Amino acid sequence: MKLRESVRISWRAIASHKLRSTLTTLGVIIGVGAVIVFMVMGGALAANFTGEFEDLYGEDAVLFVQTETPIEGGFGIQFSEAPIYTEHDVAELERRDGVAFVAPIGSIDAVQTTVGDDRLTGGVSVRATTAEGFRFDEFREGRAFDPGANEAVLNVQASRAHGGVSVGDEITYTTADGERHTFVVSGLIVEDFLSQPASMYVPTDPYYTTAVDTPRGTTERGYPMLVIGAEDIDSLSTAQDGAQAYLRGPSDANALKSDGDTIRVQTIDDLVGQITALLDQLTVFVGGIAAIALVVGAIGIANIMIVSVVERTREIGIMKAVGATNRDIVQLFLIEAVVLGIVGSLVGVALGLGVGAIAVAVLGWPMVYPLDWIAIAVVVGIGVGVVAGLYPAWRAANVDPIVALSRE
Amino acid sequence: MQAPSVSPAAANSPTVEATGLRRTYTVGEPVHALDDVSLSLPAGSFTAVMGPSGSGKSTLLNVVGCLDTPTAGTLALAGREVSGLSSRELARIRGREVGFVFQTFNLLPRLSALENVRLPTVFGAGDGAAARERGREHLERLGLGERLDHRPTELSGGQRQRVAIARALVNDPPLLLADEPTGNLDSETGATIMGLFEELHSEGRTILLVTHERHVAEYAERIVHMVDGRIEDVEELAGAGREAGADAVTGGGAGSETSAGTEAEAETSAGTDAEADR
Repeated sequence: MKLRESVRISWRAIASHKLRSTLTTLGVIIGVGAVIVFMVMGGALAANFTGEFEDLYGEDAVLFVQTETPIEGGFGIQFSEAPIYTEHDVAELERRDGVAFVAPIGSIDAVQTTVGDDRLTGGVSVRATTAEGFRFDEFREGRAFDPGANEAVLNVQASRAHGGVSVGDEITYTTADGERHTFVVSGLIVEDFLSQPASMYVPTDPYYTTAVDTPRGTTERGYPMLVIGAEDIDSLSTAQDGAQAYLRGPSDANALKSDGDTIRVQTIDDLVGQITALLDQLTVFVGGIAAIALVVGAIGIANIMIVSVVERTREIGIMKAVGATNRDIVQLFLIEAVVLGIVGSLVGVALGLGVGAIAVAVLGWPMVYPLDWIAIAVVVGIGVGVVAGLYPAWRAANVDPIVALSRE
Repeated sequence: MQAPSVSPAAANSPTVEATGLRRTYTVGEPVHALDDVSLSLPAGSFTAVMGPSGSGKSTLLNVVGCLDTPTAGTLALAGREVSGLSSRELARIRGREVGFVFQTFNLLPRLSALENVRLPTVFGAGDGAAARERGREHLERLGLGERLDHRPTELSGGQRQRVAIARALVNDPPLLLADEPTGNLDSETGATIMGLFEELHSEGRTILLVTHERHVAEYAERIVHMVDGRIEDVEELAGAGREAGADAVTGGGAGSETSAGTEAEAETSAGTDAEADR
């Protein structure tokens, strides 16, 4: 039997039971639709998370050194705040091939920030770094601080938190011990990515005082994070390899880190990739739950096809009487199930993209089209049809024409 | 309409040659729907099968049409033994070499008249446009040229039966099998349909007709009477074309008395029956 003829006859059967066919495909529509919605949202979330980060630093020859710490019984990425990168490590790293500068970043235990009469308690985190640390930042206003001149740099979130601080304003932070340090704002940087908190940056010297005992018997400043600037984009991988070899080898950090922690020297691409991979895992997990609806959809198709075989027993008998082989009958019913599966998955894809687009627009994320998942959804739709149609088709083929024709 | 395509080899053998057919259903205890039935239908003959319900006449038709398989005995269609053929081959025979006409028409409700007629051509290697053209020709010939696209529900009983006949003819089979083709029609429409069968017979087709109505059976050249799964009697009727196969029709029944004596037009055939009965 020619495929075209079977499709025509099968389609006639589907079209003559519009309500039933619609309800049957609904399972597949919901399953595929839900998977696509989650894929759109997951993709959009990742794009939103990493998009601006890449816009800001994507072209920069910069490396981030952090300590990744495992999450007990958890899932995701967590970086340790342990100040294991010492002054000695910073100096050693600066001597590696391809490295232009190393800027440490550390947290200062400040409890309050004040601009004029405006006090914020815990609203702005205070971090210490060096002037070079701003090499790759985009300044909305001003410039990096001059270490000798009691200057500080704020990110725009911090400026906003204090009701619009600009260059030249004074800002004071107070530590838990009651120490107060006042700075003139020298610049505002754009740091609008990865939900960065409102931050104020001050020079490490003299304000950052966290010190650790090193394995070499000294006591020096230790930092939880480093930013390494490579000489140019071409020397980035040399710098990365050199830094990693040192940090995972003879460094103080390697001796000071906790067991199980991993020192990471990552490019922007590495970071983005890590975050994207994590979000992808999460998306697939959620999508997998949505895919349960597909199984329900498949059962729905199988169920209705079995009913359909019983209902159309007489028709099957007629077709056999006029020359249909068992294979022809299998073909007819299988195609009917596959058509239901394909229609269901196509409508599901359209619906999923529609709902996804609306959700993404509401959340202000960029729209993404998960092309691979759309292809997978259609293939799964066909597969669902085949699997759900096999048993009913087999039953149809085994209808005894004599019995079928004697039925009223 | 072209003549039935009968291959030279097949022309010499009877269209249907059944020997010792037995069909046993086991429902609790075995029931013999057919019990040692032997029957030969020469090419171009027109035979009616009569008998009370449960006499096995429909089973005989189903077995001859390869819808049912005999429990024992042999069946040859156009000289070719069919017992032992695969279900695929049997399906091909049902589609190409046999045309079925049923009491309840058995049209597919969702397909148009033309699509119903084309149905036997879509199984196997359907030849699309040519089959469509053939279907149209048959419907036009049967006076349904204006109703090609009507659904069965939009047609009268007589029109439906004509669609069913066109369907039976579309692959130009040498053998037509009809099971009570007028059973669901009023007598006038029934007469028109039987006229059609007469016409198809005169074109050289072999016809086997099952009926319980004497006046319908009388369109045939001979009547096979069945009782309890056995051929009780074969009654030759005087009629056109009768000579063609009269002597070849044999009934392998129980050798009972002829029951045709009461029928005026059957009297001439009584002698033949006596010869036929061993």
